[in-house]
Amino acid sequence: MFDLFLQFVLNGLVNGTFYALSALGLTLIFGLMRLVNFAHGEFYMMGGLLGWAATSLIGLDFFTGLIVVVAIMSTFGWLLDRFIIVRVRDKGPEPGILLTIGLAIFLTNTALLLVGTAPHKVEAPVSSAPLILGPLIITKVRIFAVGMSILAIVCARLLIQKTKLGRAMRATFQDATAASLVGINTASIYASTFALGSALAATSGMLLGSIYVAQASIGGLISLKAFVVVILGGMGNFAGAILGGLILGVAEALWGGYVQTGTVDIVGFALVILILFFRPYGLFSIRAERA
Amino acid sequence: MKFERNVMAGFLVVAFLLGAFLQSEYLLHILILVLLYTILAASLNLIVGYVGEFPLGHVAFFGLGAYSVAILSGPDIGWPMLVTIPLAAVIAAAAGWLIGRITLRLNGPFFVIVTLAFAEVLRLLAGNWIDLTNGPMGISGIGHPAILDWWPWLHGKRGFVMMGVVLTAFALFVTWRVVYSSAGRAAVTLRENNYVAQSIGIKPLRYSMFVFVVAAFLAGISGAYYATYISFVGPEVFAFPFTATMIIIVLLGGKGTLTGPILGAIIVTLLEEYLREFKEVRLSLFGLIVMAVVLFAPDGVMGYVRRRFPRFYKRTSHA
Repeated sequence: MFDLFLQFVLNGLVNGTFYALSALGLTLIFGLMRLVNFAHGEFYMMGGLLGWAATSLIGLDFFTGLIVVVAIMSTFGWLLDRFIIVRVRDKGPEPGILLTIGLAIFLTNTALLLVGTAPHKVEAPVSSAPLILGPLIITKVRIFAVGMSILAIVCARLLIQKTKLGRAMRATFQDATAASLVGINTASIYASTFALGSALAATSGMLLGSIYVAQASIGGLISLKAFVVVILGGMGNFAGAILGGLILGVAEALWGGYVQTGTVDIVGFALVILILFFRPYGLFSIRAERA
Repeated sequence: MKFERNVMAGFLVVAFLLGAFLQSEYLLHILILVLLYTILAASLNLIVGYVGEFPLGHVAFFGLGAYSVAILSGPDIGWPMLVTIPLAAVIAAAAGWLIGRITLRLNGPFFVIVTLAFAEVLRLLAGNWIDLTNGPMGISGIGHPAILDWWPWLHGKRGFVMMGVVLTAFALFVTWRVVYSSAGRAAVTLRENNYVAQSIGIKPLRYSMFVFVVAAFLAGISGAYYATYISFVGPEVFAFPFTATMIIIVLLGGKGTLTGPILGAIIVTLLEEYLREFKEVRLSLFGLIVMAVVLFAPDGVMGYVRRRFPRFYKRTSHA
């Protein structure tokens, strides 16, 4: 009985790490840049499909493929921000929402045209053989993915906290005018953040494509879960997003294990509603009301 | 004000005449879609254009209206349509009150996501609460109002057009009254400057709540109309495509204008039909068109008209 509980919690933590990873990009784009990005899940989907193309069609190994995918998606994100997103900046949430909904519709359907509805598998560098740890079972590929997720999360965190670029980012999102006064090229910072966010989304898409599947129509679901995680964790808060992901993962695993599997997806939304009811700015957010 | 009233009346008259004289079933179907989307967009426009918040879960009220009609007029309860359609709107309005109580305290992105969360919860409930909603299979065989059987001329799609004209007239009249009532003006003041509005004694929650509930009521009507016309309701009435369509209609037509939703509904319905020619590429094209609208016509078509021909709007003070 207790073993079963532990297994649920372990599954929840593993899934939670994946949620945290897939929400990292959105933490940057939605949490910091304040763009309600409905195309986030489509970036994830592109990462998965590009990863599949790089490994299965072209025959690169996983890590070379990952580098290629990250390079493509950063460039894509950079161009998207410099030429399109920049036009809806500082105009309130609606234009951004509509623009990214349009983008999401375009990307999903174009991907469907190109690769069809069938799910594709990204070749993982690790076997999917199960590993038995006392009463618990976990597959090797999942341990690998969790390790990679933690690595990606730590790298992103270090980039934002320790590097000059990261400092410029934080300054820009606190006060863009002041940041440009001290000589920060804010347009380039916005584009870099968007590029980083897209690259993180694509990384998670490719990594999780090796565990689940890469599919053209997955985007909507991923976007919704990522929004739940970002809101749970408090906007723009990295540590919060990780905790938000873990909370969501464990809550879903327990609900699925003990209550009902069909309604697992309700858990996240119910959590968001409850948390914002009691803490209107998210669990770990310290903010005053904006004018 | 006069211009807006004339456009709304003109639209209803044209819809009535087209409904009366068109023979093609296909054209009547398109006309019904335009009327349905007009009601839905007019209701969303109340929130987006006049409260100034951006709900992504407005489809919740549409779906509640549709399911209410399906369940209440189904074989188990079997109430007549003339009772269930108003009742569906009231149920949607009650849900609007409840959801508004929770969500209207939030602003910006939080409001956006929580309203979406409500719609998703309802969609998942509709798919899982088999006893009530028949789950993913949905409820089929929903009847039509008995009144449409009285006169053979009203049989089939023509009856639904006439019903749509009546419902749209009601919805447009309600939005018109709300926007030009003191409550509507208070809501606009709140949208423009929350702090000034509060300083002259306008309570934010009260007025945004009023408009929100009216909008939910109208969305419930459109849901009811949809259910009885399509005669099938499944969990997809709570799904994102409807949300996307109604948002696109409102923003394309021009938010915060009474005539925008009408124009948007006509354009989007015709565009969707026209794009069918392109088969598989059509949704990709649709996405690109949506992006182009945001980039090049950010205030929608009516926003453009208002800028270009300000004399039509001379009499409105808050434009």
